[in-house]
Amino acid sequence: MKYLRTRITEVLTPAPNYKLLRFAGDEPIPARPGEFVMVRGEWGVHPVLPRAFSLVECGEFGSIIVKPIGEGTELLAGMEVGDVLTVFGPLGKGYDMDNAGRRPILVAGGVGVAPLLYLAREFHDAGTRSVFIYGGRTEDDLPLSEEIAEVADLVVTTENGARGEKGRVTAPLTRLLEEDNNAIVYSCGPDGMLHAVSDASQAVGVPCQLALEAPMACGMGTCKGCAVMGTDGTYKYVCYDGPVFEAADIFEAAS
Amino acid sequence: MSARLKAPLGALTLDNPFVNASGTYGYAVEYADFVDVARLGGVSVKGISLEPRPGNAPPRTAETAAGMLNSIGLANIGIEAFVRDTMPRLRELGVTVIANTFATSIEDFVELAKRFDDVEGIAALELNISCPNVHAGGMHFGVSGEAAGEVTSAVREVTSLPLMVKLSPEAGDICEVARAVEAAGADVITMINTIRGMVIDVDRRRPMLGQKMGGMSGPALKPLAVRMLYEVYQQVSIPIIGMGGIGSLRDSLEFFMAGAAAVQVGTANYAEPGISLRLADELDAWLAERDLALTDIIGVAQD
Ligand SMILES: Cc1cc2nc3c(=O)[nH]c(=O)nc-3n(C[C@H](O)[C@H](O)[C@H](O)COP(=O)(O)OP(=O)(O)OC[C@H]3O[C@@H](n4cnc5c(N)ncnc54)[C@H](O)[C@@H]3O)c2cc1C
Ligand SMILES: Cc1cc2nc3c(=O)[nH]c(=O)nc-3n(C[C@H](O)[C@H](O)[C@H](O)COP(=O)(O)O)c2cc1C
Ligand code: FES
Repeated sequence: MKYLRTRITEVLTPAPNYKLLRFAGDEPIPARPGEFVMVRGEWGVHPVLPRAFSLVECGEFGSIIVKPIGEGTELLAGMEVGDVLTVFGPLGKGYDMDNAGRRPILVAGGVGVAPLLYLAREFHDAGTRSVFIYGGRTEDDLPLSEEIAEVADLVVTTENGARGEKGRVTAPLTRLLEEDNNAIVYSCGPDGMLHAVSDASQAVGVPCQLALEAPMACGMGTCKGCAVMGTDGTYKYVCYDGPVFEAADIFEAAS
Repeated sequence: MSARLKAPLGALTLDNPFVNASGTYGYAVEYADFVDVARLGGVSVKGISLEPRPGNAPPRTAETAAGMLNSIGLANIGIEAFVRDTMPRLRELGVTVIANTFATSIEDFVELAKRFDDVEGIAALELNISCPNVHAGGMHFGVSGEAAGEVTSAVREVTSLPLMVKLSPEAGDICEVARAVEAAGADVITMINTIRGMVIDVDRRRPMLGQKMGGMSGPALKPLAVRMLYEVYQQVSIPIIGMGGIGSLRDSLEFFMAGAAAVQVGTANYAEPGISLRLADELDAWLAERDLALTDIIGVAQD
């Protein structure tokens, strides 16, 4: 774990309402796909807490993708090249890439693309072909899809049908799992999507790893703020037991 | 750390006046890889109870204007695991450990104190009296001088450790509580704990937190904390450790000048886990420039 004062080196707009921030500090933050960082700009006392982001890239520079949904993310999305970004990490437990010969199916929605693009690149570099199911409400909710297509078999869904298959990610996922259940599912996205992905995977007995979100203060297991109830009846902490969990440890199989 | 930063607190002297506040720095060992935890003035560890506690229903935190609410529910590993598993590591690291304890009865506070009394490497005991007393209809120990005095004197009888009592801003009259814990044998007063607040999630039309209410901390708390400290300083002669919203050198100077002999830093640790060391260095430079020692500025804002 490191706490670094970095500078923004590049700001990209991969889709109308998304920003990709690249930053560089004195040293890289070596993170695995699914691991995250707590970041904050120098904006005084409000908002007081840092914000959690999955790393999209890490190396000589790191990057995060930001979707503005509130005050902190608005401030981050407004940052410019040269601004200071404090970055604390890597944090949490990422995806387990040991797929035991199963075909990886990655399922992302919205900013859930961040850890999964990183994961798809790692599978690609390891010589493993993966399928990437990417769902958005409209064609504007699919940032970085070109980058995904370079490293995985991309299947796109939009709710309005403007691009790819009309509907949600569950339809192609269910189809793929029915065709061949020698698969392993990795997912990140909105809560409703995670539930549906968990149900679809558990229904056919396919292992499934999900990345969760929860409000965080410390990001490293000390404040006990980010609790979620596990299926075993004990609290799990998203920042250090996760953010990636086995689906069955968090969501009951649909009956 | 230079001699000008020394913070005398009666029998105990801290090398520097910046202590990390309970609940905001875990058990300190988690930070040892990237923060020199031995250099911290001290660490008040996450509140410890007789039995481990799982904590409250989530969500447990919510952000507010320049602050936050928490309803963690005092989740902790319990005294047995702390003494057995965590203390050896803290001793090895050389951390100045303040054992923050809480209980819902005087007997349990006494039992905790007894068990800490012969644990090697504890610098002080800190009682978190912002807890409901199950034997007094759930009224919390921190709200009245009588209840606070009672628990303090009961613990005083069984502990040889420097005894810190942490006051609640929810006290009817915090000066009365301060006088009572001093009279009951406290060596140091620490103040303040969080004050309960609420955020409504207007989309769900329900309180944001699982427990509805949560303790407010962070910069928004600072003027309240400084005012209370300023008043309490006039009423007691034991040293006071101040806290509430400290995140910069100037914030800490306000507390010292109001009368704090040392301070605790809480919520600010989340944004910068090594902030207390940075503030200690900044205070050192500030004092050196003026050829002062910390003890020269304590209470100087008082009439
Ligand atoms: C492990 C992890 C990885 C994440 N990765 C990304 C990412 O790659 N890209 C991205 O855009 N977002 C990501 N998020 C979500 C991001 O952290 C929140 O969108 C952000 O904290 C919202 O802050 P805000 O001030 O804009 O919103 P506000 O609603 O104003 O925030 C109020 C408070 O609630 C917290 N909060 C609100 N929504 C969330 C949420 N969904 N998750 C956690 N805390 C929340 C905030 O941190 C803040 O403390 C991730 C969250 C987690 C836990
Ligand atoms: C998440 C969280 C957990 C806390 N847990 C405890 C605790 O276990 N015991 C205690 O005495 N105080 C606890 N506190 C209160 C702090 O120690 C401190 O009194 C308060 O936060 C005010 O300081 P600050 O504004 O610098 O955070 C907690 C505070 C926070 C934010
Ligand atoms: S965010 Fe503090 S324990 Fe997870």
